[in-house]
Amino acid sequence: MKKSLVLLTLLVVIVAAVALVACNPNDGENLDPNAVTIMGKETDLNKPYMTEIFEHYTTVTGKKLNIIKVEDNKFEDAAVARMADPAKAPDILLHFNNADLSRFNVAENFEYLTDAEWVSDLTDSAATYCRDAAGNILGLPFWESSVSGCYYNKKLFDEYGLVAATNQNEFRNLLNQLKEVVDVPLLWPAEDCTWMPQFALDPIFADDPTLLDKLNANQIKYADIPAVKRMINWIHTADNSNWFGNAALNTGWDDMAGQLASGKAAMVFIWDTWFYTDFSGVTYTKDDFALMPIFMNTLSDGSGTYEGGNLNMMMVNKNSTKKKDALAFLNFCAQPENYNVAFKGIATVSVFKQEVSNVQSHMVTDMQASINALERPSTASIKIIGYSADDVMAAINKLLRGECSVDECIAQMDSARIARAKALGAAGF
Amino acid sequence: MAKWLKILISVFTVLLVVGVVVAMLVGYFGFISQNMQDDSERHLVEIYEQVNQSFNSFISRNWGILSSCSDYYTVLKQNNDPELNTKFKEFVLGDEENHLFGKKHDVDFEEFYFLDPDRKYYALSDNSTGHFESGDLSDMIANNQKILTRDTPIRDSKPAVDPDSPGSTEESAGQASEVIMFAIPLGTGYTYNGFSFTAVGISYTNAKLAAKLDAVAFKNSEGFSIANSYIIQPNDDGDVLLSPNVGGDVTRKYLKYMKGVLRDDPDTFARLREGVKSIKKTEANPHPHGYLSYTTKDTDGKNVTHCVIYMPIDYGDYVLISNVPQTAVSQGFLQAQTATMRVMLIIFSLIIAVLLVVLIMRIISQSRQSKKELLYREKMFDVLSNNVNDIFLMLDPATETVDYISPNIERLLGIKVKTAKENIRTMATCAVDYNIIIPNEELQSLPMGESRSWECEYMHQATGERRWYRVTIYHMNIQKMEKYVIVMSDRTLDKQLNAQLEEALNAAKSANEAKSNFLSNMSHDIRTPMNAIVGFSVLLEHNADDADAVREYTRKIMASSHHLLSLINDVLDMSKIESGKTSLNVERFSLPDLLEELNIIVMPQAKAKDQEFNIRTNGTPPDEIMGDRLRLNQILLNLLSNAVKYTPDGGKIDFTVQELEESAQFTKLRFIVKDNGIGMSEDYLKEIFQPFSRETNSVVNKIQGTGLGMAITKNLVDLMGGIIEVESEPGKGSTFTVELSFALVQEQSQDAWFSHKITRMLVADDEEEICLNIRDMMHDTGIDVSYVTDGAAAVEAAVRAHNHNSDFNVILLDWKMPGMDGVETARRIREQVGEDVPILVLTSYDWSDIEAEARAAGINAFMPKPFFTSTFFQTIKPLFNEPAEAAPEQPANDALSGKLFLVAEDNELNAEILTEMMDMEGARCEVAKNGKIAVEMFLRSEPGYYDMILMDVQMPVMNGYEATKTIRASEHPDAAEIPIVAMTANTFAEDVQTALNAGMNAHLAKPIDMEIVRKTVAQLLEKRQKGESK
Repeated sequence: MKKSLVLLTLLVVIVAAVALVACNPNDGENLDPNAVTIMGKETDLNKPYMTEIFEHYTTVTGKKLNIIKVEDNKFEDAAVARMADPAKAPDILLHFNNADLSRFNVAENFEYLTDAEWVSDLTDSAATYCRDAAGNILGLPFWESSVSGCYYNKKLFDEYGLVAATNQNEFRNLLNQLKEVVDVPLLWPAEDCTWMPQFALDPIFADDPTLLDKLNANQIKYADIPAVKRMINWIHTADNSNWFGNAALNTGWDDMAGQLASGKAAMVFIWDTWFYTDFSGVTYTKDDFALMPIFMNTLSDGSGTYEGGNLNMMMVNKNSTKKKDALAFLNFCAQPENYNVAFKGIATVSVFKQEVSNVQSHMVTDMQASINALERPSTASIKIIGYSADDVMAAINKLLRGECSVDECIAQMDSARIARAKALGAAGF
Repeated sequence: MAKWLKILISVFTVLLVVGVVVAMLVGYFGFISQNMQDDSERHLVEIYEQVNQSFNSFISRNWGILSSCSDYYTVLKQNNDPELNTKFKEFVLGDEENHLFGKKHDVDFEEFYFLDPDRKYYALSDNSTGHFESGDLSDMIANNQKILTRDTPIRDSKPAVDPDSPGSTEESAGQASEVIMFAIPLGTGYTYNGFSFTAVGISYTNAKLAAKLDAVAFKNSEGFSIANSYIIQPNDDGDVLLSPNVGGDVTRKYLKYMKGVLRDDPDTFARLREGVKSIKKTEANPHPHGYLSYTTKDTDGKNVTHCVIYMPIDYGDYVLISNVPQTAVSQGFLQAQTATMRVMLIIFSLIIAVLLVVLIMRIISQSRQSKKELLYREKMFDVLSNNVNDIFLMLDPATETVDYISPNIERLLGIKVKTAKENIRTMATCAVDYNIIIPNEELQSLPMGESRSWECEYMHQATGERRWYRVTIYHMNIQKMEKYVIVMSDRTLDKQLNAQLEEALNAAKSANEAKSNFLSNMSHDIRTPMNAIVGFSVLLEHNADDADAVREYTRKIMASSHHLLSLINDVLDMSKIESGKTSLNVERFSLPDLLEELNIIVMPQAKAKDQEFNIRTNGTPPDEIMGDRLRLNQILLNLLSNAVKYTPDGGKIDFTVQELEESAQFTKLRFIVKDNGIGMSEDYLKEIFQPFSRETNSVVNKIQGTGLGMAITKNLVDLMGGIIEVESEPGKGSTFTVELSFALVQEQSQDAWFSHKITRMLVADDEEEICLNIRDMMHDTGIDVSYVTDGAAAVEAAVRAHNHNSDFNVILLDWKMPGMDGVETARRIREQVGEDVPILVLTSYDWSDIEAEARAAGINAFMPKPFFTSTFFQTIKPLFNEPAEAAPEQPANDALSGKLFLVAEDNELNAEILTEMMDMEGARCEVAKNGKIAVEMFLRSEPGYYDMILMDVQMPVMNGYEATKTIRASEHPDAAEIPIVAMTANTFAEDVQTALNAGMNAHLAKPIDMEIVRKTVAQLLEKRQKGESK
């Protein structure tokens, strides 16, 4: 009996160990020691243009690539850990130029690419996105670029004789009118779509860089910025007015396409590429949608805003033994004949000036003039030290649950931001 | 009335009241709602008539203003002068009082346009040109109509530089937003700054113009309009000319939008659309309006009612339509309704609350009353069940769970309530006869509503006490629960009474049978001596000459007469006792004397049957006691006579007197008569004390008896407060034990003994127990008692004492000792000690046979057994030179000789017998036939004439008692002294006492015993001589 118990326990331990090994993509990986290793989120590395450029590279150069795909929610910690271990550090890290990047000690770990030949081929917006505070180009923005705004079901609007709003008041009226005819005037997937608040924060700090500087120097807080309070107030009003429907807290990424495609929801804050990569519908297709600015009351004149593209950058490990090969791979990707292969047919705003194989969404082209006038680069999530979309959304969700007031929500946003800034060792915190 | 019916009526009353109130509320609110709806419509119509009128005025004013510039247009038409153009622009756009669109006209347009038929325009403010998106405007210009339309001006080119133009801006091409245009046609030939135009117009933004539709009544506290008002085209989509000011201009197809809003209520939408499309001003109805309301649900699921009012405006087909929440329209009414509702609800709630409180109080009161009654019932039931011997149970038949069991079960059956509740079958263990317990299966078959009863005997588990119960089990339905209610009714008393009754019946039967037997026996017993008397009397008469035969016949007649007399005495005695007329005659008497008398009587009888008869004492019975000597003697003599009678020849009879306990005033004595006779059966022992009972067997049947002796004995013992018990076994003998208490008399003091110098004595008896008993009895006298158990030892002790010059003062010897008997022992003692020491012999035998020999041997005196100190003292007193109290003088045989008696006797035969018998004694009698005659004879007599009066008691004319009293009360000299003796058949103690109380001196029972007469007469005459007759 006792012997059987011991054997059973041993068997369980072995099975558990095997399962753990099987579940960890980093262990047991069969990497080609001569190939350049690229590490990134699983979702990101599975993008069609990414797989295309990897295959294209191998095809053209005959060189292999080691691709390390990490589960999205484990990526940041895994990447930091790998970069800290020279034996396991990737040669190229695929990462957004956002606040999380500060965890990597960029100056010591990554090669500045400001002098690369391909920099001149980047659109101004793309180049701006890839620079750090000192103006250094941190990586090659080999990524789709899209315009984030308020995408609405134009066909549904026409059915109800409604038109897009051009200012905050019209947007308010529009939401009230929509409330009478649809379940969800504005889809607010609070469960896991944490990007929405940053769209409204962008113009605050993009239009007045001094506010950003003071915030990052810990001289002011969100609570000191009226526009932030107007935004949180608007979210609170929107929730109280049922502009988000009555199930925002239980709505997430997986619900978005269905609700928009069925007409249950009329509008959403999203980017155009999403309609090409993640949306499909029968009642309403992506062609039925149109774009208007985002109105979250952060702009005092009642105007709206769009957010420019957030670009994943290929950053080269400064300390890699295959740094040369990695730089050569970036050059390969930045060639028009190559990136046009990869982005062929992809709905994206051009990142490279000579990028012509991609397609522009009608939603963007129809509103190009408005976009030109109101678009702001992604600022909040990138430039605010300690900014975490999750933190902001957590505070807002607490507000939506009625667990805190507007001021307490803002205080929690500040508290979380300052805590992260301190954890990063930011000056002034 | 049943409780449930009361509750039902109460609930029904409450429901009725609630129903009435609800009906009133519904009616009231229905009335209010209808009024409110009507009022809402009137209110809305009133408001929007004003709005419509105001907007129409605004339209007219714009057109009027445009028309009022006709002179300027003419100038412009005639002179294409730049300076004039500038002046015109200043006139139009300037803000001065006298300018066209200045404060004077209170208009705030956005732009002034010159328009041509090809949709082109020239904007006056910034000199820009462009075209209007829609062709409607051109069409209306071409049709020479006043124009009110919505269109989008699309700028074609940058405006011409006009430094003087205050409104010029640098806007990029392509920007366009819709505006509301007011325009009037002018005709051809007009030019401004090189732009040929046929009409002029001014534009307003939607926001500015929509404010004209806002009703002040429908603005909230923040200034926002709660109502949404539109100017729409009455077509299918409801194209919007002017949309609400609030929030901006986002609704362009009003009816399309409303179709969506009313997607769940298509009928209402259809009414709305048709109403809008068909509404027209007519002469008959110059101010038509349409009204409807609809209800939708908001996202929270709450109903929201909207009121829609629409009416045509004064231009074209346009319709003013406004959508207002009903809450805004009827706010006052709603507030009133709400207040009323609250008041009504409060009243309603109060009524309900009061009713509920009353109902609850009533229920509580009833509940309390019920609980109180229940509690009382429980208490009473507990008290009852604790104080009665009935047991009550209720149990569930299915589970055998005990729901209730009365607490007295522990007292009655010795089973704890808890134990019984845990397992009801424990009660079965108390049942004496398990077969009586009804089986569970049989109970299960007991129909509902029926009961079953049986009787069962139960035994207390602790004490073993048995009780009979009548167990009745009821199969009942209590509140839809199947139950057994078990009542165990105590029938023990009934059983006992029945048993007693049965016993009494048996006793009665037995008594009756005994009486029958008695009568039979009596018949036999009476006839037997009577037969002898009659028979021998006949023989006597026949053989009167034969003296020997006469004496023999006379002796047998006398014997038969005595037997017959004893028989009659017993019967009368028993009759007296049973009638409760017996009383005790308590007097001081000597226990030793009593025992001696008994010995004298019984010993000869025992001796005649060669039986051994012993009298012993155990302990220290007192010598003298207070009690009814006669009755005690009767009791003991009965027992001893029976012992002798029912003990075969050669048997043994022991009579023991034992002192059980003694206090200062009382002593309790036990008398034991034990024989080894024929004994009695167990059955007869049960009725031995019943009167008229005799055991029937061959031995007893041969023995004469009335069957009353033991009954008399028992009754006498009971009368004296004692107990009598008997143990017997057939063939082995019987033992009767009588215990009686007697009052004590003063004991003799020690001084009496010491005054006679008696300090030491020697006792010799082969039974050491007797020796010890004597020593104990002498303890209180202070005399030192030494004892030995044979004659030789007695001699040795006496000699040794004598040699030490300390002779015993008295030596007491048993007569019959093994080896050396008392006489021989006395002889030897005298030989060695001398004559000084008194020697007594203690014996229960008649010593007359040996008296001479004993005295010769030196024995001074004899003492009867058992030993008593008083007897002992009286015996030895003469031996110490103090004569003993003189023994009563024996009556002389001639005591009657020569005496004259007055005999009062009504019965001549008795008088004759007495006279003859007295005559035989040498006495004479004068007979009086009743008491009165006797009195008269006495009173007539000389003093000393009669020696004595013999007075019968029951006599005609005057009885003996009255006659005696009369004599005593008379003045006859002998009245006080003459002895009067009752001579009667009334022989009981109370008869004796009555006679003495009447003044008689003695009592003689009939039939006359001449020996007793002789003795009594002698005593009385002696006393009379001594002067003590009274």
